[in-house]
Amino acid sequence: MLYRVIDAHELPALVQAFMCDYEVIAPVRSGKSFAFEAIDSFDDIVLDYPTTLTSLKKYYLPPRETLFEYDMVDGVTDYRMEVRPRVLFGAHACDINAINALNLVFEDPRYPDPYYEAHKKATMIVGISCMPGDSCFCHLLDAGEVRSGYDLFLADIGGRYLVSIGSVEGADILEAACDPREATDEDRRAFRDYTRRRQRAFNEDIPSVQEIPMLMDAFHSDDFWEELGSRCLNCTACSSVCPTCYCFDIRDVLDPSGKTGRRERVWDACTSPQFALVTGGHNFRPGPRERVRHRMYHKLNGFNAKHGRYLCVGCGRCVKACKADISPIEVLRFFEQKGIEDGERDAD
Amino acid sequence: MPTSTQVAVGPLAHAGSVLDGAQLMAENPYRPWEARITSITPLTENEKLFEFRLIDERIRDAFHHEPGQFVEVSIFGVGEAPISISSSPSKSGFIELCVRRMGEFTTRLHQMQCGDIVGLRGPYGRPFPFDDMRGHDVLLVAGGLGIAPLRSLINNIHDERSDFGNVTIIYGSKNPGEVMFREQFEMWRHRKDFDLYLTVDNPDDTWDGEVGLVTAPFAHLDVDARNTFGAICGPPVMYRFVVEEMRKKGIPYDRIYMSFERHMKCGMGKCGHCQVGHQYCCIDGPVFNYWEAKNIQGSM
Repeated sequence: MLYRVIDAHELPALVQAFMCDYEVIAPVRSGKSFAFEAIDSFDDIVLDYPTTLTSLKKYYLPPRETLFEYDMVDGVTDYRMEVRPRVLFGAHACDINAINALNLVFEDPRYPDPYYEAHKKATMIVGISCMPGDSCFCHLLDAGEVRSGYDLFLADIGGRYLVSIGSVEGADILEAACDPREATDEDRRAFRDYTRRRQRAFNEDIPSVQEIPMLMDAFHSDDFWEELGSRCLNCTACSSVCPTCYCFDIRDVLDPSGKTGRRERVWDACTSPQFALVTGGHNFRPGPRERVRHRMYHKLNGFNAKHGRYLCVGCGRCVKACKADISPIEVLRFFEQKGIEDGERDAD
Repeated sequence: MPTSTQVAVGPLAHAGSVLDGAQLMAENPYRPWEARITSITPLTENEKLFEFRLIDERIRDAFHHEPGQFVEVSIFGVGEAPISISSSPSKSGFIELCVRRMGEFTTRLHQMQCGDIVGLRGPYGRPFPFDDMRGHDVLLVAGGLGIAPLRSLINNIHDERSDFGNVTIIYGSKNPGEVMFREQFEMWRHRKDFDLYLTVDNPDDTWDGEVGLVTAPFAHLDVDARNTFGAICGPPVMYRFVVEEMRKKGIPYDRIYMSFERHMKCGMGKCGHCQVGHQYCCIDGPVFNYWEAKNIQGSM
């Protein structure tokens, strides 16, 4: 990976350069929290934000998206979708890793998704380093650092940034707007210092567990899932805020005239009670036990089987969004507890 | 200030250039292609067999399916539904779907007439391993509407009968009135090249076939286990019992194939609705062998 160093006072110029040709989406203050929003000025950006309420997936997979339009007489009228050239400025490593996971699904060479691809093609990513918050556990799921999927990644090394350059477009804008220089030994030491501080800042109450996918199989029938499921309110907030949940529904919307309509896809969630219902009335995941377990299973085992990585990046959004305290952290704690129980029994 | 740009999705993106059917379909895999209903055959009180013909010749030429695959059927303004293909690939140019009237979509389809237009996209899914089955005995077990996808396999075997060994078909229904394709199967009962067992749970005066569960005929089946493929399709509750019978006969784990029913909304391994364990029924299935099924959490 190619890298350079820029001074912190050069950052406004970089953002300004992007704003000429792109809509710049960046973390801003939103009430008591933070959100990714289109900005008008560098001053709106909060660079040292903990985590935003919702993720960046909406820029690739909008909550509601028209697939095509049709006429009841003539059938499908070929469709032009709107895309906006965008820069997602200030994305954390976990969120870039989440988009990398979505890419595996939507760029599957068997069925590349033309809508997702169009959004992706129009979108640049500038990542930024972070310090973990209380509910961050990206480091436990191999998502705490990111090596691809961005144009630029800025690591704050005190008054200056070590910039990883991921694309030609990123390099061009960086060179045009700033005065990037070669890193010195001092810069490299500062970067190592940053990685050490970050490593130590993670919440140690969240247990590090080995062989999570195998544990998901081994404890598939455990009563734990009944208890966890019984708390679920079916609100699907977890999936809405999750940067990697990509399930959707496809539905038809007829215009009031009844002569034309459109087919659209809208976000859906496997924790929604009707999600696995088939015509005829059979529900393959009838209770919250099965639904909550399936969601966790897909994230911590199923996706691994297909793609060799977790579908959870440990961003902690669901930890905050769930009113019933259901999250992957609870699953990790359960596994940790099981190990301790067994250890105690062996000691007796 | 940057403005949004318009990007054409689908064949429009290549206006002016000549694309073949496969390229047209790949341009936007969510786009259904118009098909005309060319024939409707009532099968039972609630089931009809629809025959469709894709209107665009390029799409029609590019559409090739294998037994066990499904299509997404569109009725504009109502929506889309995944339906397994009932016709054999050997019947080219036409696609037959056997549809039970159950929800809003299928009710609307049942109200349609010959000449009406629907949308089709596909075919999707992993089929039965037809070529691997060649040279072997085949034991097919269908329950209820499960005959719909199996009929594609049965008719394909029929059309290439000399490539297969003994072919046994067990087809169970609740009542005689629910037996689909009854005329075809009544005729086949007298054929020497198919062993056919039609069973019903609740017989009436007209019934002279077998009585009992779909597993009953296994009691007097002589199976050459090392040379046999099993193929199963039916209601969820049926699989465990039929698999058990096939295993008792000694058919290997990976020669027992079954088709899973799920609601495949996109058909392309994305929307998540048809997920079972770590697999997607739409791209990894709907046909799985028993070894694979055993390895899917929550599948059976």
